[in-house]
Amino acid sequence: MDSLIISPTEDSPEVKFTTTSNRFVISGESRPENASKFYTPVIEWIKKFEDVLYWRKNERGDKSQIIFEFKLDYFNSTSAKYILDIIFSVKKLVEQGYNVKIEWHYDKRDDDMLDAGTEFSEMVELPFEFIPH
Amino acid sequence: MNAIIDAYEISRFMEEKNVLLVFTGEFDHRIISVLLKNIKGKLNPDDITGNTVKRVYHVLVESIENIGRHATQDKTANSQSIFMVCRDDSKYTVISGNPILNSNIPALKEKLDKVMNLSLEELKQMYRDQIQSGKTTENGAGLGIIDIAIKTGNSIQYDFFPLTNETSFYQFQTEISI
Repeated sequence: MDSLIISPTEDSPEVKFTTTSNRFVISGESRPENASKFYTPVIEWIKKFEDVLYWRKNERGDKSQIIFEFKLDYFNSTSAKYILDIIFSVKKLVEQGYNVKIEWHYDKRDDDMLDAGTEFSEMVELPFEFIPH
Repeated sequence: MNAIIDAYEISRFMEEKNVLLVFTGEFDHRIISVLLKNIKGKLNPDDITGNTVKRVYHVLVESIENIGRHATQDKTANSQSIFMVCRDDSKYTVISGNPILNSNIPALKEKLDKVMNLSLEELKQMYRDQIQSGKTTENGAGLGIIDIAIKTGNSIQYDFFPLTNETSFYQFQTEISI
């Protein structure tokens, strides 16, 4: 399975999903012109990553923790819908019994970003680790 | 000099109203990016809190993207659209205006009136319901107005002014306390 690496632009975040890694990062600003076009491959990648986790766990006995790191400065309301979809996809991995967690990084002055993470966590019913910077 | 428009009058108006940015024209994605970059540099984090800076930026993006959305739906004289940001000692005011087809007014008005009558808790519930409903289109998830209402303590004001038999000018204004 190929890694998914997307460079940041002024309106879209950086995506660093390296297949061999245990930490997958989405960071930056998100208000892409076409949110569906931007986020669909990201969500598809996470769904397919389950096969890699299956192989790691059952063929290699590797149960290392996988972390999805959200480190967003800003996201618009259209992106919010897709971020929720990503979090739901991660929740599915947790439900399959894989050792996966979400880290929600935020600027410590940005109460709204903390609130947004709390809302997502409650909607999906998945505890996040909140990390202020 | 017989100026058609008195530039001094305009600059005085800008100063009186503390206009940080005003733009009229077509609001495509590229223009929106340029405007946001410009205004980002003018949001001064030294005298307002970091959260307020983020909040103002958030409301700016949603408001300006709303103009873009209406323009995509309507195609009517997009060049008449306007976006303006003012600041005084107590607040930022964000104003957008754009032509809209009269046929689109009832649905928009219904949504605005509904949002304006909700408490913060009710707005948050509406946001949760909307984001989970799956009704997403490229014209937005329908979350923008709810989001603006939450971030501005529900300070939305709006008006429609008739332009032609088919179109009106839609003005939308919010305030963010400093």
